[in-house]
Amino acid sequence: MKTVQWLIGVILVVFVAPLFAEPGYIIRSSDLMDEPYRDATPLAELKEGATVEILKRKGGWLQIESAGKRGWVRMSKIRKGKAATQPTAGKEASGVLGLASGRAGTGNVVSATGVRGLNEEQLKEAKFNASEVKKLESFAVSEQKATRFAQAAKLVARELEFIPAAAE
Amino acid sequence: MGYRILLAILLLLSTLTVHAFDLGGLVKEITKEQSPASETEQQQAKQPGLLDLLGGTPVEEEIAIGREICGRLLGAAPLVDDKRLQRYINQVGAWVAKQSGRSDLIWHFGVIESHDINAFAAPGGYILVTKGLYKKLHNEAELAGVLAHEVGHVIKQHHLKILKQGQLIDMGGGILKKRASGDDKGQAIGKMIGSGAEILARGLDKNAEYEADRIGVVLAARAGYDAYALPSVLQEIGHVSAGDSSVALLFKTHPHPEKRLIELDAAMDGYAEQFDNGKTIVGRFYKL
Repeated sequence: MKTVQWLIGVILVVFVAPLFAEPGYIIRSSDLMDEPYRDATPLAELKEGATVEILKRKGGWLQIESAGKRGWVRMSKIRKGKAATQPTAGKEASGVLGLASGRAGTGNVVSATGVRGLNEEQLKEAKFNASEVKKLESFAVSEQKATRFAQAAKLVARELEFIPAAAE
Repeated sequence: MGYRILLAILLLLSTLTVHAFDLGGLVKEITKEQSPASETEQQQAKQPGLLDLLGGTPVEEEIAIGREICGRLLGAAPLVDDKRLQRYINQVGAWVAKQSGRSDLIWHFGVIESHDINAFAAPGGYILVTKGLYKKLHNEAELAGVLAHEVGHVIKQHHLKILKQGQLIDMGGGILKKRASGDDKGQAIGKMIGSGAEILARGLDKNAEYEADRIGVVLAARAGYDAYALPSVLQEIGHVSAGDSSVALLFKTHPHPEKRLIELDAAMDGYAEQFDNGKTIVGRFYKL
């Protein structure tokens, strides 16, 4: 019986886990680390544009597989999706900035499928809807109820300071 | 000739002084009628608001302005007709907002009927998320992170400050010379907000967005959630093509999600321990 369970385990890990893997690629060259920590051991260098399979996330780190090597990379170094379908693949500078600055549409594009969008023009012309506001307000949750909701999922409040922006 | 210019300047100065004096008198007269403001209210009343002059505390003013903006946004995109969803987002939101220390506000959260990917915060604690963004989320921590970012805008009064700046410019315009009745108060708010919910289409300074991201991850972590859920959402929407109309407004009003992720990751980097061991919570996450 134990052997069967063990076998099922192996089958799950070897054959099913890769099905959940997501493609991605490196947008800023980075070390592949053996563990999800800053002071872990680098295993290899991942170059911009290198394709990866994302296996899972732990904190700010993604476990990936690339060119037969498995390890951890900081999540901000990776873009999800297939590099080939991305016109900006492999060029981080033009990638991020190019996406940010241009081709975002004119704001009056109406979705082809006829579903409701929210563009500038619609917002500018929007009229106050009193009954919807009242409906929204009817769903308000008190602090006591919120606390009970948190306790139900064993969420415990922690005391933490706000963090500053990273130094330039 | 020189005397004439001097005279003109003197005349101008005296008018300004009289105007300022009048305004000050008005403020004093009205504040006398009110009960003494609490300490938090006084802190928030850095600039005299339009409603301070017309009657009402700064918190009341903040809520009235936010309610109006929120109502207009709901006029463009109503709530998703799903009570369990709306109750759920209010439970998560109220727990996250509780960590912000602004217990003087009643916080409101809603999912609106739009396939765009976006979320909005109006002053006074009114926060709306589009169905399009909600559908991109995988767990409660991601929802908490998105809501916490918006809570960050509210507690830093990012939109309120922009509106007040516009209002200060208007002060010389004479609208304050009238003493207010109820209708005028509504008009005054309307004038301050401008046309429709355009304030939400204008966008904030990029540093205000980075700041809301940093506040967001801390509020989510304070609430016990996985702090990296917000960065994860940024990563998820980071690879939506910029040509996709569902992100047109989001990308116009915010720095690119990938740029936000890089900034946020850098800011969080030195605090890895404080962000450890947060919960993700998939089981009770309300799926759409």
